[in-house]
Parts: sequence; structure tokens; C-alpha cells
Amino acid sequence: MKRLVQALRNVERHYLLLLAPLLVFVVAIAIYPLLFSVSISFFKYRLTDPTQTKTFLGLANYITAFQDEQVRKALANTLVFVFGTVTTELTVGLGLALLLSAETRLMQFIRSWLLMPMAIPPLVVGLVWRSLYNVDFGVIPYYLKLLGFDLGRGPLGESATAMAAVILVDLWEWSPLLMVIFLAGLKSLPSEPYEAARVDGANRWQRFIHITLPLLQPVFLVGLLLRTMQSFKVFDIIYATTAGGPGTTTTVLNYHIYTVGMTFFNMGYAAALANILLVVVAILSILYVMVLEQRQL
Amino acid sequence: MHRKSSRLAFLALLMILALLATQCAAPPAQQPAAPAAPAGEEASQAPAAAEKPFAGTELVLASMTDQYVAAFQYLIPLFEEETGIKVTLDPLGYVDLYQKLTADFVGHTGNYDLMTVDIVWTGEYAANGYTLPLDDFMERDKDQLALDDIMPVSWTLGEWEGKHWAYPLAGYANVLNYRKDVFAEKGLEPPKTQEQLLEYAKMLNDPENDFYGIALLGAKGPAVAQDYMVFVQQHGSSILDENGKPAINTPKNVEILEFFGKLFDYAPPGATDYWWDQRETAFRSGKVAMMEGWSIARAGYENPEISSVVGKVDIALAPVAEGMEPKYGFGGWGIGINADSENAEAAWEFIKWLTSPEIQKEWIRHDGAPIRRSTLEDPELNQEYPWFPVLLESFEKGDGDYRPRIPEYSIIQDALGTTVNAYLVGEMTAQEALDQAQAQVEAALK
Repeated sequence: MKRLVQALRNVERHYLLLLAPLLVFVVAIAIYPLLFSVSISFFKYRLTDPTQTKTFLGLANYITAFQDEQVRKALANTLVFVFGTVTTELTVGLGLALLLSAETRLMQFIRSWLLMPMAIPPLVVGLVWRSLYNVDFGVIPYYLKLLGFDLGRGPLGESATAMAAVILVDLWEWSPLLMVIFLAGLKSLPSEPYEAARVDGANRWQRFIHITLPLLQPVFLVGLLLRTMQSFKVFDIIYATTAGGPGTTTTVLNYHIYTVGMTFFNMGYAAALANILLVVVAILSILYVMVLEQRQL
Repeated sequence: MHRKSSRLAFLALLMILALLATQCAAPPAQQPAAPAAPAGEEASQAPAAAEKPFAGTELVLASMTDQYVAAFQYLIPLFEEETGIKVTLDPLGYVDLYQKLTADFVGHTGNYDLMTVDIVWTGEYAANGYTLPLDDFMERDKDQLALDDIMPVSWTLGEWEGKHWAYPLAGYANVLNYRKDVFAEKGLEPPKTQEQLLEYAKMLNDPENDFYGIALLGAKGPAVAQDYMVFVQQHGSSILDENGKPAINTPKNVEILEFFGKLFDYAPPGATDYWWDQRETAFRSGKVAMMEGWSIARAGYENPEISSVVGKVDIALAPVAEGMEPKYGFGGWGIGINADSENAEAAWEFIKWLTSPEIQKEWIRHDGAPIRRSTLEDPELNQEYPWFPVLLESFEKGDGDYRPRIPEYSIIQDALGTTVNAYLVGEMTAQEALDQAQAQVEAALK
């Protein structure tokens, strides 16, 4: 404690003064809500409870969470969603980057248009796709039916296809981001190894497998971690397309937290669930930061 | 060395600040503000003689984006002119409305003075005292209110255990909409019983030509839960037992769920994903022969801008199970005053004005919904809206409690909203679905 006080004194005053507005901001926007959510997660706390009582439960909310069948299902769904989106988006993103990396005018044009989905709010994306997918009035089922596909209750209505359908929406929206990341990676690759490989008679495929991919590995890792984090927190697309349905097929963890918190106003339990999600995402972001720092070295 | 220690100091400072912030802002354990109506006192102080006693007062009204928003938009300027009270309308979708209002009530921020209150929120609002009980106002002004003229069932829009937490605003009857051209072609009369409903849905279903028997609500969430409850009511059952405790998984209710599931065989394939708007689209685009739904949508079917079935539609009383005493699902909206509002008197003026018999006629003509007998029996309106007699009868035998208006309603609705949808898409059996809903509700109520 003494050392802390000493350290505080050592800080030059005007630094603090300059930092103060930002500090207040960070504390108000990020730190305080975080601490509050940690503190209420130890209580039975329902906002709409007429008596407004808060009962201290200790870790009971967390223990319930790990035993809760719905939470387990939501967690499993989240993992499927994360795996589905991240793998496909990395593949498609890399493919697009390779395809469109040439610096011609046409490629620049296509590239900038491909960024559009990213600029649309996910909620809007969800609503648009919800109507595109609608089996009775939507465009996609209309053409699929012309091709002779039996769509049953529609892409979002069938348990077998609902998850794939929302993954496709996410893929549509976020692949361009990975394309940009990979493009940046491709541009920064050194040219010497390629020249050497060409001299050695390596064909394009060999050059790709043995040079491009290994050299892109750090970029790959950045994209992987970034999208994994975001996918874990997915909410808007699910909210707008399926509301977690049919049944609980697409109920991801964040959507379940929303239901607990904003439909039941069961804040204590929702906070506990949110904190569990936070820990998962925090671990990923620490990894992310570590990777980034390593790259700079 | 210097850099390291300053970083340490920075962190320490951050922690201290954070702790301070939590200390200061720790919410005081708040007793719910006892909503004893301060109305009477204020009123006696108000200069009753002044012509526009509340001129300059500003009210904010949070409204559901149902058809009646158009009526608000038309009537509010008239009210502003007459009283000098300014009313700001904030139209919100169903989920947003519920959440914003709850946040406003729980935080006692008093942003909204007036709000439309769904019939099913009544119990919750009453138990928490979110809205002001209107009984003192009603007692004081009873001479001006023509209370006897309001249909008895309309009072379920806000009445709870003898007190009025919202005032009747827009009454909806659950009716059967059907395609009279299709029925005439087959020489059929609209179904009177649930058994006939199923039979006709099957008979008129023609998927080859993209035409289906009936449109239903199947989307996960409030939509499917509410539609299932309509059918529970129409089969004479209930999801509460006689003591008002949730009894969702009774054998009777399981049977009704299976019936509900059978109807989906004759609905458009996407119906398990229908929310209210898609069900409307299905009916208006002429894809289905029948649809049960709220009477407020009826006028829209004659509007060529939004309907391709103009002149081909009629409504009938909702079919009930054979041998059952006819009862018709009733719902709709009340209008309440925020318990935290500082303008309760002016807000009451608005309610009084809006629900007066004269204004009610304009309210109806601009897409509002009736609450009064005089409105439903008005000869002019009956001329303009030839389906009013059906509404009147539905209102007379209306049942506003088929969706339990208890404080725990939202929990029941959410549980049913997930499990019934899961049953419809074949993830669970009917018994499993209702067992699980019952278990979820019981767990949440513990």
C-alpha cells in the first residue's frame, strides 16, 4: 500500500489532469457496469419483482448456469455457430483475397463493392435475409422451388437447415472483413521466396501451399481470433432472423442471456451468464493481443 | 523504473475510481413508490374555472405500432388545439415498447406520461404499481365518462383486482376472417365449430396451386404462444387451474396442441415461422382461405393499397369446440398513466377526451378499435363497417382472460413460445412440449 501511495505521488500531476476525462469516461462506460454486473451476479435480483428484494446467493447463479439444460444447449449451439462461421469465413475470405488481389481497376471496383455488407447494421441484414428466406413470399425459396427443391418449412423454419441458414447470413456479412485482412497480409508478403521458388520450378499450387500459407499464418491467426470473439457474442442476426428458433435450434448463448435478462428481467442470473461469456471472450482477446504483439516484434 | 511505477499508479487510480463509482452509485434498495393517487388533491387546487387549465403541459405517449397509431396521429393535433396540452407520440414495436416501458418504470425515470398497455400486462403492472390506479379520477369525473356505455369486457383492458391500472383504449375481438368467394364457390358456410374449421381447412387446402386452408402464427416467441392460447380458449380449456396456478400440461391441453398441430398441415409451409405480419401478408395476398385474428385488421382488407382480396373477405364469429358455451377471445390495449408522471392530471384529460363517445367515432374512422357499446351500435358506423354486429356479439361474449393477465404472464408466454414451436417443427411431442413449458414456468416462479 505504501508503495502504491509513493507511486501515485511520483506521477506527474499534469498527466493525471490530462487523463482525467478519459478515465472518468472509461470508468463510467466500461468499468462500473462491469463491476456492477459482477456484483449482481451473486444475487437473486429480478427487476420486476414487486418487493425489489435482492437475496445474496453466493455462487449459486453460476452453479445453476452450469447445470441448466437450456444454457448447455445454448452453449452447444454457440460452438456450432462459431465453428461454422469462422471456418467458412476464413476460407471464403482467403479465396476472395487471392481472387481479387490484383491491382486492376476492375478488381478495386469489385473489392469496394464487396465491402458493402459489412457497412449494413447486422439487424438490418437479419431482417433482409429473413424476408429473402421466407418460404411463402421470399425470393430464395421461389427460385429453389423452381429448381425442384422441396424446402418444407423453409430454410429458417426447418430444424435441419436453420443453423446453416443463419451461418450463411453471417458469412455474407463478415467474409469481406476477412478478405480485407488477408489482402493486407498478401500485400505485405516478401517477394524473394516466390522468386526463389520460381527458379526452383515450383508451380502455382506449390507456391501457394508452401509459401503463401505459411507466411500468412499470423494473419490467419488474427482473423481467426477476431471472428471467433465476434461470433461468440452474436446476437443481432439471430434476433432478427429466427429469434433462436425453431424450438431452440439457433438459440445461442447471447440470445439466451437476452431472454433471461430482458424478457424475465432476471438480472442476477443474466449477469452470471454474461460473465461466463465474458470470461470466454476475454481469454480469446488476450490471445489476440498476444498474437498481435508477437507480430510487431 | 519511472515508467513502470507510473503505470502502476495509473492502475491503482483506476481501481480507486472504480470503487468510488460503485460506492456512490450503489442503487438504494428501493421500496416501490406506493402509488396512492395524489390526484384528488391536485385537482382541487387546479383552477377549475380556467378554460385551458393545462395549456403548455407536455405529455409523452408511448404507443404500440398497431393500426390505431394512425388514429393517434390524427386525433392528437385536435386535442392539442382544444386543450393547449402538447402530446408527443412515440410509436414503438411490441418488444421495444415492453422493454422501454419496463426500464422507465423500474428506473423511475418518468420519461413517458402515457402508455398503451397490452391486456396481458395488466397483472404485472398492477402488482408493481407501474401505472397510476385511475379509480380516484374515475370516481371524481364519473358524470362525464359514461362508464355504463363501456362494454363490460372492455374493462379487462386494465382492471385488476378491483382497481383500474389502465383505461380501456382499443378492444380487439378474435374473429374468423374467411374468403367469401372461395366459400361460395364450394357452397360452404363459414365454420361454426373447431371441428368444422379443421375439416374445411383440409377441404380448401390446395398446395398444388399455392393455396392453403388456414393461416396461423407459428413463429417462436409471443406469436406461437398466443395463437396456441387462442385455441386453448376455443376448446374450452385454460392454461391455469381453478386456483390460478399454471396448469399447462393437462391431458386436455395436450390434445388441443395436437389439434393445433394438425391445422398446420393445412397452413402455408412457412407458417411455423409466421409472426403477425406474415400471417397478415398470407391472408391479404390471397394465399389462404381462412385466418383467425384480431378484428382491428378487418378494415385493412378493403384497402387496395395493402390488400389483394378487396371485396372477397368477410368475418364471422370465431368457431368454438362443439358443445361449448360460446366464448370469444378478447384482447387489445388499455391506456395507462405512469405512476412517476408529473402530469397525471393532464394525462387523465387526454384519456377522458379520447375515450369520450363523440371522439370514439373519429377514433374508429382512423383505424382505432371500439370499447363502447354506443360505438358498436352506432348506425352510421354500422353502415361504414358492416361487420360491427359480429364484433358486438364477440364483445358481449368476450373472454379477456384466456391469456392469463397475471403478473407472471411473460414467463408463461416465453416458455410456450419456445416449446410449442419446437413441437410444430417436430422436435418434441405435444406432451413433451407442454411438460417442458410447465417445468420452465414452475422453475421460474420458484
